[in-house]
Formats: sequence, C-alpha cells, structure tokens
Amino acid sequence: MRGVDRTGAGAVAASGASGTSGAETAPRRGAVDPVKALLHRHRELCERAVDPLEIAAGLEAHGFTDRSAARYRHRDVFSLAEELYARVPRDADPAPEPTFGPAPRIRTGWVLLTLLPGAVASGTVAGLRLGPGTARPLVALGGLLAVILAVRAALGRGPLAARPGAAPRPSAPVWTVCLLGYALLGDGLLDAVVSGGPDALPTGSPDGPWPAATAPVVALALACAPAAWCAHLLDLGARRRLAGSRGLEDFTSGARPLLLGVVALYLAALTGLLALTGAVLHEDPAYPQALTLGALLFLARLLTAHRHRHAPAVILGAAAAAEVAAPALVLSGRLPDCGFLAVPVTTPVDPLGVGAIPTLSCGCAALVLLAHALRTLTRASAHAPVGGPE
Amino acid sequence: MRIGLLTEGGYPYVGGDTGLWCDRLVRGLGQHEFDVYALESGRQQEGDGWVPIPPQVRRVRTARPWAAGDDGAPLGRRGRRRFTEYYGELLGAVCAPQEGSAAEVADRFGNALYSLAELARDTGALTGALRSDHAVTALERACRAPGAPRAAHEARVPDLLAVTDHLARALCPLSLGWYGEDALAAVDLCHATSGGSAALPGLLARHFSGVPLLVTEYGVQLRAHYLALGPDSAAPAVRALLAAFHGRLAAEVYRRAEILTPGSSHARRWQERCGADRARIRTVHPGMDADRFAEVGEAPECAEAGTLVWVGRIEPGRDLVALLHAFAEVRKEEPHARLRIVGVPVGAEGEAYLAQCRALAAQLFPDEAEGLHAVGDNPVSFTEVGAPEAPTLPDAYAAGAVVVLSSVVEGFPVSLAEAMFCGRATVSTDVGAVVEVIGGTGLVVPPRNPRALAEACVALLRDPERRARLGAAARARALELFGVEQNIAAFHGIYLEIMSHCPVRRVAVDEAGEPLPFAVPAEAHVPGRWTVPTLLRGSPAPVRAGAEGVR
Repeated sequence: MRGVDRTGAGAVAASGASGTSGAETAPRRGAVDPVKALLHRHRELCERAVDPLEIAAGLEAHGFTDRSAARYRHRDVFSLAEELYARVPRDADPAPEPTFGPAPRIRTGWVLLTLLPGAVASGTVAGLRLGPGTARPLVALGGLLAVILAVRAALGRGPLAARPGAAPRPSAPVWTVCLLGYALLGDGLLDAVVSGGPDALPTGSPDGPWPAATAPVVALALACAPAAWCAHLLDLGARRRLAGSRGLEDFTSGARPLLLGVVALYLAALTGLLALTGAVLHEDPAYPQALTLGALLFLARLLTAHRHRHAPAVILGAAAAAEVAAPALVLSGRLPDCGFLAVPVTTPVDPLGVGAIPTLSCGCAALVLLAHALRTLTRASAHAPVGGPE
Repeated sequence: MRIGLLTEGGYPYVGGDTGLWCDRLVRGLGQHEFDVYALESGRQQEGDGWVPIPPQVRRVRTARPWAAGDDGAPLGRRGRRRFTEYYGELLGAVCAPQEGSAAEVADRFGNALYSLAELARDTGALTGALRSDHAVTALERACRAPGAPRAAHEARVPDLLAVTDHLARALCPLSLGWYGEDALAAVDLCHATSGGSAALPGLLARHFSGVPLLVTEYGVQLRAHYLALGPDSAAPAVRALLAAFHGRLAAEVYRRAEILTPGSSHARRWQERCGADRARIRTVHPGMDADRFAEVGEAPECAEAGTLVWVGRIEPGRDLVALLHAFAEVRKEEPHARLRIVGVPVGAEGEAYLAQCRALAAQLFPDEAEGLHAVGDNPVSFTEVGAPEAPTLPDAYAAGAVVVLSSVVEGFPVSLAEAMFCGRATVSTDVGAVVEVIGGTGLVVPPRNPRALAEACVALLRDPERRARLGAAARARALELFGVEQNIAAFHGIYLEIMSHCPVRRVAVDEAGEPLPFAVPAEAHVPGRWTVPTLLRGSPAPVRAGAEGVR
C-alpha cells in the first residue's frame, strides 16, 4: 500500500505544480485545526451519521482516500471518520417526524368494483320479479354466478384485497358461498322441514312452500361498498396511530376502539341497507340473521386482508357446518328411534323461530372472530406496510 | 470438487452485478462441479431470465427474499418460545453498546444466528415468525434495553416495523431448505460471490456440515448498505439498527470465512476494518478479457492526436462536469484538442446528468468549423458504443491519444483497466482502487480538481513519446495482473488451498445408513499439520520460521 501511495504521489507531482499546491493549501485554510474545517464542510453527513463507518463511506463517496486523510494527520479514512464522529455535536438535533410511506389511495378502480356485486344482485332480483316465469331458473342461475364473480372481483383490489404473505385458504370462499346460500334458502328449507316438508323446489319468490329470502342477500351484496370504505378507514386510522404512537402498547390501546368503531359503522350501514331492500322488495329484512352474517363475513375479510387467513377459514367452516347440520338433523330425526337427533335444533327453533339457527351460529362465530381480531388486528405487525426501505 | 456458488442478484440471471465474472469463473474451472444457489435481488430479475448455463453447473436453486410469499405453518407454542428467545438474543447483540467487547458481541450474534437456523431447520419455516408480532415485540424490547444506542432508544412503531421487515428479508436464507444432504451439505466448498445475505447460506452450511467458506467481495456489501441507506431514505433509528445488524453480520462472515478474496485493496481495507484476519485475505483482482483489446493494444499508432476519450457509465459520481471544465483549460493550451465522451446514462438520474453535461458542453465550447464555408461541430462529442464513431468498445479507446477518468467515486475502475489493455496513456483521479490499478503507468490527480486534470492532460498531449512509454507499460501491467486467466488461476489455487487445509470430514455410509469403515483412506486424515515437523515447531531455528511463513 505504501509503495502504491508513493507511485500515486509521484505521478501527481509529475503532472504539474497545481496538483501539489492544492494539497498544500487545504490545511492552511483551516489554520491549526484542519479537521474542524472538514467537519464544517461535511456537517450534515457527520451529524446524521449513525456510526463512524457511515461517515467513512460518505467521505469516500466524496472522493476521500487514505492519501487525503493523511493531510488531516490520520492514518486512514476510518480513523479520520472516528474523529469526526466523536467531535460532531449531536445533542441538538431534533428527532424528525416519522414518515410512513404514502397513504393508501382511493382509486376509482376499487370504488367502482365494490358497487358491482350490489348492482348485479339487484339486477338479478329485478329480472326474477319482472321477467317471464319460464326464464326464472336461467336468470337465477346466471345471476348467482354473476354475483359470485362480482364479489371475487370486488375483493381482489382495494382495501379488502388480501395482502401477500400468507398461504391462501381455498376453503374460505366455499364456506362463504355456503353461508350466503343458507341466508337465501336456508330459513325456508328449515321451516319446511320442521313442518314436515319440503314438498316443492324453491321458485325464487318470497311466498310459496320454500320461500327465498332475497332482501338480506341483496343487502349483503350492496354492503360490499361500505365494507370496503370501512376497511379503508381502518387502514387510515391504523396508519395515523402507527405514526403517532411511541410504543407497541400505545398502538394497541389506540387501535382497539378504532376496530370496534369500524365494525359498528359497518353494521349501521348494513342495517340501513337491510331496511332499504326490505322496503323495496316488500320482504322481511330478517335483521338478526343478516346482521350477524354480515358481521361474520366482514370480520373474516378484514382478518384475511391483514394476513391472518387461518382463523377465518376455520370459523367460517364451523358456522357453515352448524347451519347445514340443522335441517340434516331434523330430517334424520324422522328416522325411527332417532327423534333425539332433532332436539338440538327444535329447542331454539320452537320458541324463537327458524331464524334462531343462523343467528346463533353466525353470531357465535362473529363473536369468536371479533375476539380474535381484537387480539391480532390491534397489533402493529398486522398493519406493517409491504416493502420497507432497501 | 463440488463448489456451492452462492450469489445474490447476480449469476445466473441476465444483467446481474457479478454475472459476467461468475460465468467466466464457472466456464474457466470446468474440471470442478458447480451448484449455484442464487438469491434474487428484485422483482424485475424474474423476467430477465438466465444466461446460458454450462454443463459443469449441475443444478441451480433460487430463492426470493423480496417476496412476502408463503409464511408457512405457524410455529407451535414451544417453537414460539424458542424463537422469541433466540431472536431477542440476536437483537440484543445488534443493540449491544459499541464500547463493549467486540469478540463477546460477535459470539452472541453468531450463537443466536445459528440457534435461529437450527430452529428453522427443526420447524420448517421461520418466514412467518420473522414478520410476526413476537418479532416486533422482541425488537422493541431490545431497543428499550439499557445500553442500546441512543438512536435505537428513540425508535417509534413505524421504525420497528420497517426494521422487522428488513431483517425478515435479510434472514430469509435461514429458512431455505438448502442445507440438507442433497444440497449444501454435499458440496466441498462454498464460494459466496458477495458478503451480506449471499454469504449467509455459506455460514449456515459451515455451521451444519463443516463446509469451508470462501467469500469474494468486489464491492464491500457493508459499504453499499451505508450508501444505500442514506440519511434521507429512512429514520435514524432504522438506519442505526440496520447498520448495526449488517456490521455484525459482516463481522461474522469475515470471522468464519476460511479465505476472503477482496477485489482490490480498497475492499481489503474495509474487510480488515470489520474484523477480518489479515492472514486469511488474498486480494484477487477482477479478470478481464484481454483478447478483444489485443488488436488496439498492439497498434498504438491508430490514435488520433489531440483526442481525449472518456468511457464509462454516465452518472453524477463520474463527475463529467469537472472533466468538461478541465477540457476548457486544455483548450486554452491546445486549441485543437477534442474530447469524446462514450457511454450510456444509468437510470433517470443518469439521463438528467447527461442532459446537464450536454448543455454545459454547448455553453463552454461553441461549434467550430475549418473555414468559412464548412459546417462546424462541437469539440466535445457524446456517443455510445455502437455509434459509427465507435462501433465497438476497443474502437472507442483506440480513437483516444489519452484516456481520462474523472470519477469522484469508484470501486474497481473497469474503464481504466480497459484503457490499460488498449495500451493508452491515462489520466485519472485518485479514488477507489485507481492508484492500485494504475501502478506507475499513468498520471493520477486529486479528485474534484479540474485544473490538475487539465495540466496532466496537456502534459501528455504534448509529449507523444511519454504517452507511448506509459501506454506500453500500462498494457504490460494489465496483461500481467488483470487477465481472466490470472483471475481463474488464482481461484483455482485458492480452492485447492482450502481443500488441503480444511477438507469436509464426512462419515461414509452405506444404503442402510450404517457407517462404512475404511471407506475414506486413513492418510487423508493425518492429525495435525504434516507439512511441518510437529515436534520441532517450537524451536527457534530460522529455517523453520521461514517454512512457517511460507505456509
């Protein structure tokens, strides 16, 4: 290294007088303390450096070499950087305001997509009500498929979209479809089964031997839009609290009321939509069943969106199994000597009506998920932005 | 011999940083088998595809640390407890006070790292746990612990999340299934092509199976981290924690590597500074293909007198502005001098810088013509390789009487070495490894000093004999030091050296898993160092001391 140094210095000298004269003037300007002048020139670098090596890297990026460090009476850049790091005053620097990347933006794409399921569901119901009787099965089938696709599209983007990071659970959508199917036809079926039926297939109309409850389902489809907005509010609030909180405990205590408030807001919006669809379609809006189901689906989606996919899939499956089991148990109770099988279903149904089964199963599941969400979604790691500094 | 080649963002992807060098190494050492273990550096690399793989590369395995991907199965209660303990210990070592004992901190860091790796091997995957709330809580606890650096004390929740995310990515190699009997445990030597995360699989293979590790660093990874995480990119707490983590990781890599091969003495200084043992460092200069410069190098007379050439990638660190100002001074002395700038801008910043330089050139030098009726042009021209004036890279150098390098930042100056291969006299700024590369075969001036640069250029332009002398010496030096053959021969020698000093001791087993006695010849495992008479080692005879030195 020494030999190489000399070669370099010799070449500088050979190149002319100015190269060496520049080397001589630099310390003279700083009078007795050349490092002080250097400190002044690189004040920002030195003040903001987190350790001496960062100053060394920064000085090298400014063209410093061990030869230039020798002018400051140091053996190499590292020892010069250590002196600078030790000498720079760093008590006065105020902690900068934490920045937390760009806020989630409201994009027209997801705003329009969240309106799609409601529009498709309303169109299907209108087709069923107003269209000719012969086309009804086709309209119902096509409408169902269209609603499923529309919901899929609406959940693919925006604040309800699943963040990358957890293994997808293919069972969760299946359970969701089961739950929605029960909301549409389940009460009618259970009613018919309890009273000895069913005697006919559902026709898609609210009156008949096996009535279909279209109002809650249409309201739930319409509620995709408020759900997305509520999730967006949760994201915004969580970001604000993340930026403002000093510690993790601090964040958790602030996030709990936020989460409860968002769920309450969603339920309020869903209640409004239920009342609206009930009035327009002249049907019973079935508040208890629809509200518990809505809360369950909303919480499951929030958890999935924040990379907690395991619990929602399990709980949705349990709720769907409980609902499907109810008519099956009543039917198997008709077998000889198996009447006891129907007891768990008839016990709540007799005093409370057929709506008790979905209300109980969805309500319990929603409470479990709410407890889970209050534990997991109020943690800072659930709201970590994807992709940090690199 | 089977070599596990560990890369990050380079080989075998097209356009990777170290891709060309690795490709030459793999092709040049065809007598060995190579297993390539590559960490992708970013999303765009996925689409780039691979370079053609020669047959000696038996397999290529890749991983994507940047992808959040599948978190895998969550840890059980016991696994979570172990994870919290080890991760807390790792972070404790990261946040340990600076003034503490370096060896003790390094031990703590290493032990925690290997414990985490064992946990990952036992339980399958750590990816989810590294991003979980337990990890963030452990980080908060480490930051608030007494003795932690002041910047860490001030970490807020977003900082904790950012650091956790970064650490999860950096520690991704822990949870890769690369350490089994069919993978890194079966190789004879791990060769990491850079420090940092790329060397991490090598560290773990060394821990699990005793595979020796060789680390080559052409640019020091730690220094790159410091420059990438500048003051504006993140909060002070994030920078302090990440800098401490990468510092500890680099120290662990340097401590455990059997041999370190920095690309220049500049990288070597950083490695020594971070705790590398001087005795285990061998500087291996990057090799360059000398053949394509042979024609130009052997015909020094094709240079255009009075032409300065600058070749490189155009970015602010190259300080073309200083070059243009220096050229203005040169023009005062030598009115017929011309300057050719050959290169492509790098990124949007480079584009803007090129536009700025063009504007400055147009301002400093008006177009000039031979006579009243000729069309004039600017004495400064900006071209790219492939343009009519410079169809190939050697042609670009061939046109210049003097090749100029005006960088303020430089690692290994590739364009300087290429100019040396072309037998051209050079004037360069004293940055990075320039002095080491040029030796005494060109002029060196201080950086950010246009006048010195101009005077050196004028001196060379006026003295054709000196130019020829320096050019010939530069070519001879380059052929001796920077050829591909020298690079490959050096690595071949280092591979054999490592194999002879610390071979992997494996127990040979038969199909049923029973150890096979006498499967490995006994003389391969003579205990002690049999090149030196063990009994006489302590005696002060001068001959033996010499033998020690050679060893």
